[in-house]
Amino acid sequence: MIETTSVFRGLIVLIEKPILAPKNTKVLLMGNEAIARGALEAGICFAAQYPGTPSTEIMETLVEVAKDVGIHVEWSVNEKVAFEAAYAAAIAGVKSLTAMKHVGLNVASDILMSSAYSGVNAGFVIVTADDPNQHSSQNEQDNRWYGLLAHLPVVEPSSPRDAYRLIKEAYSLSEKYMTPVIFRTTTRISHTRQLIEYDCDIPLVKKCKGVFERNIERWVLVPAHGRKQKQRMMSIWHSIIENEGVEPFIKIENPGMRKVIFAPGISYVYVDEVLDLMNLRNEYTVVKINLTVPLPYKPIADVLKEAERAIVVEELDPVVEMQIKKIAYDNGFNVEIYGKNIVPENGELNTEIVYSVISRFEGKVNSPLWRSIGLLKTEPSIPPRPPVLCAGCPHRNTFYILKVSANKAGLKNTVYTGDIGCYTLGYQKPFETQMTSFEMGGGIGIAYGLSHVIDEPVIGVVGDSTFFHACIPQSINIIYNKGRAIVVVLDNYYTSMTGHQPHPGTGLSATGEDAPRILVEKILDSIGFKTYVINPMNVRESIETVYKAFKEYQEGKPVAIVSRLKCALQALRDARRKNIKLPVYNILEDKCRGCMACINLLGCPAIYLPPEGVKPVILEDICVGCGLCAYVCPFKAIVVKQEGSPNWIEAWM
Amino acid sequence: MVRYNVFIAGVGGQGLLTIGRILGSAAIEAGQDVTVAEVHGLSQRGGTLNVQVRIGRGEAPLIPRGGADLYIAMEALEAVRYSEYIGLNTNVVINKFIWPPPLSKYPSLEHIMSKFNEKNIKVYLVDANDISKRIIGTIISANIAIIGYSYAIDPGLQKLIDYRHLEKSLELIFRGKTLELNKKILKISYEEGLRTIGEL
Repeated sequence: MIETTSVFRGLIVLIEKPILAPKNTKVLLMGNEAIARGALEAGICFAAQYPGTPSTEIMETLVEVAKDVGIHVEWSVNEKVAFEAAYAAAIAGVKSLTAMKHVGLNVASDILMSSAYSGVNAGFVIVTADDPNQHSSQNEQDNRWYGLLAHLPVVEPSSPRDAYRLIKEAYSLSEKYMTPVIFRTTTRISHTRQLIEYDCDIPLVKKCKGVFERNIERWVLVPAHGRKQKQRMMSIWHSIIENEGVEPFIKIENPGMRKVIFAPGISYVYVDEVLDLMNLRNEYTVVKINLTVPLPYKPIADVLKEAERAIVVEELDPVVEMQIKKIAYDNGFNVEIYGKNIVPENGELNTEIVYSVISRFEGKVNSPLWRSIGLLKTEPSIPPRPPVLCAGCPHRNTFYILKVSANKAGLKNTVYTGDIGCYTLGYQKPFETQMTSFEMGGGIGIAYGLSHVIDEPVIGVVGDSTFFHACIPQSINIIYNKGRAIVVVLDNYYTSMTGHQPHPGTGLSATGEDAPRILVEKILDSIGFKTYVINPMNVRESIETVYKAFKEYQEGKPVAIVSRLKCALQALRDARRKNIKLPVYNILEDKCRGCMACINLLGCPAIYLPPEGVKPVILEDICVGCGLCAYVCPFKAIVVKQEGSPNWIEAWM
Repeated sequence: MVRYNVFIAGVGGQGLLTIGRILGSAAIEAGQDVTVAEVHGLSQRGGTLNVQVRIGRGEAPLIPRGGADLYIAMEALEAVRYSEYIGLNTNVVINKFIWPPPLSKYPSLEHIMSKFNEKNIKVYLVDANDISKRIIGTIISANIAIIGYSYAIDPGLQKLIDYRHLEKSLELIFRGKTLELNKKILKISYEEGLRTIGEL
């Protein structure tokens, strides 16, 4: 039966890979999935990424279908490598994509600048997934500035549905001007699901073999060539400003009004809802801006000419506001322009904030549209729930082993520098074995620098994927420049925090095929560290080994430790898949003296103290049987309650 | 049209993202437009988490405080943490489960429920973990159980989505035996919800 009453009615096609479904199929897609589908429709044949929230699912989606559609996909070692690989494909004429989280573009920013000068020979889009409100990031930098800095256009969707449509437009723009294009999303687009109806099929034929054009003047950016390429780049930049102020990049709704709202990127959807709620739609001209850098001046000038008052409702930095104010100034328009004077510059926007902003712009008292019961007050109050290391997380064992061994070896007031990963959570009690965390690689670089200027022992603790990503030059620097820092690498086989993507130490490629396995200890050995490898589930043995390593450090030798055990989440998943039962522990009430050692030393989410209780209890549904609590219990009160399968340890290896 | 807002609170690892996906797909099956706002990454690691489902025309992904029509909490402490999203007419469903953060002091379930009841709103307590455990032996499908129960007690959601649309979206996500068991959990929890409001 065909329904005509609703545009959205229709069957969701029941197929294994909805991302490959034909034209006209309706699916619920996350913004990142929509970007992947759109890029496939645009005809990419090469994609490279390093995982990072909120960008990760773009490549995860492509990985799922890479073999079906015959494209090259990879988890690269870091963002710079990913960018270079995808850019190389594009200069050789193969359409390509690279994607990364906002701070990942910092890592790739050197090649970003040069790519703008030299341009491309096929469509090339750089997705930067920004994270306003820092849901899972060290900062909330606004990467649209990179567009202004590099002189590259920034296409910015307002919703997942927009992302699907505009990623294809971004490829067209890239090929029209033969320039890289930055495609900027934010968490609420990357990680929001929305109904998407495919308006195109994925092309069966695409260009996957390129040709390297030996154009020395273009690709060799010595100063003389660079000056010429700068002129090429700037002429593209000015053409875009002149010519692209049209749909789909700039859309003017209800033109000719005296009041104007400029709504770049995601802020458009909040403005849209608020104007409805306030019944003000007819009073405003709304300019939906999806090409935020460089801002084409014509439509903006047209709207400002008619306007008396305008407001730029923009998330984070005033990137569009500054450009609009420049256009107003250059044209001598006498229009009042509001922006960051009343729109928050920190965190995400939402409907409530935009409601209060527009109320203020209207000069109205902001009477609440929604009546909340308010935040309930309890006694005691609700404790914060920061993310914690999972039950059975091998990092917990390693942190415990490091601290006990340091104590035993007489390392006093040890400084533990840290990095980006789940293990950053070690900053919390009871471990406090992550005392810095700035950026990828800093765990070793900061350890090195500190070791020159402070007297305390310094241990840099970083993850495996982080080590490959950005810690190798710093490790070399420790040896070469005679630093006094210990390198500890937590090898849990995967890039775990972002969802267990394989890395060079995993032995698997992005698509799950066997890959050469590069061992961290071999790298550290060859640099010049005496490297010890431990299995942190063997606590006693590991403490002995680490103690020995610390003693050698005290004698002046360069040492490193690799702690290797599979991520507990992955171990649990593998156990389920292979039908392996993991042991489960229990606290014997008669033997437990309520000393709280297990709780206070380990902070494991599987152990808790019931309200009014004096003895801790293990949540059997959460326990995965690592046995660390049984090791630390001074009264041998923690025992195996349910034996695991005879081969349970295999799930962890 | 005003959108129908479902706010889902809980702890990373409790299957909140799946609840969002199931409600989102069911809304599409029912011919509605929908957005489902999720959070990924570090927040999964046992941290506090929320998912926001908005059904009906519009694209803004975030629910205003006080704007939830249905408020589902997979854990009782988290039910309090996001209570600002509850309005005067919100239906509130809370899983009978406290999972305290390590090394923390926290209020009892009775105390929490008394605070909710003071507000003169409709609050339902359901042991979703137990429903899941009864049928498959683990708490892993407590998220499906809370969907079935919440659907039964919430006339607003029933107006937009039919029961069969929920089943249909289970079919999109699960396969084989897991699908059959989850359908069973959906049904049993749905009936438990109906019994609570005296409709079964």
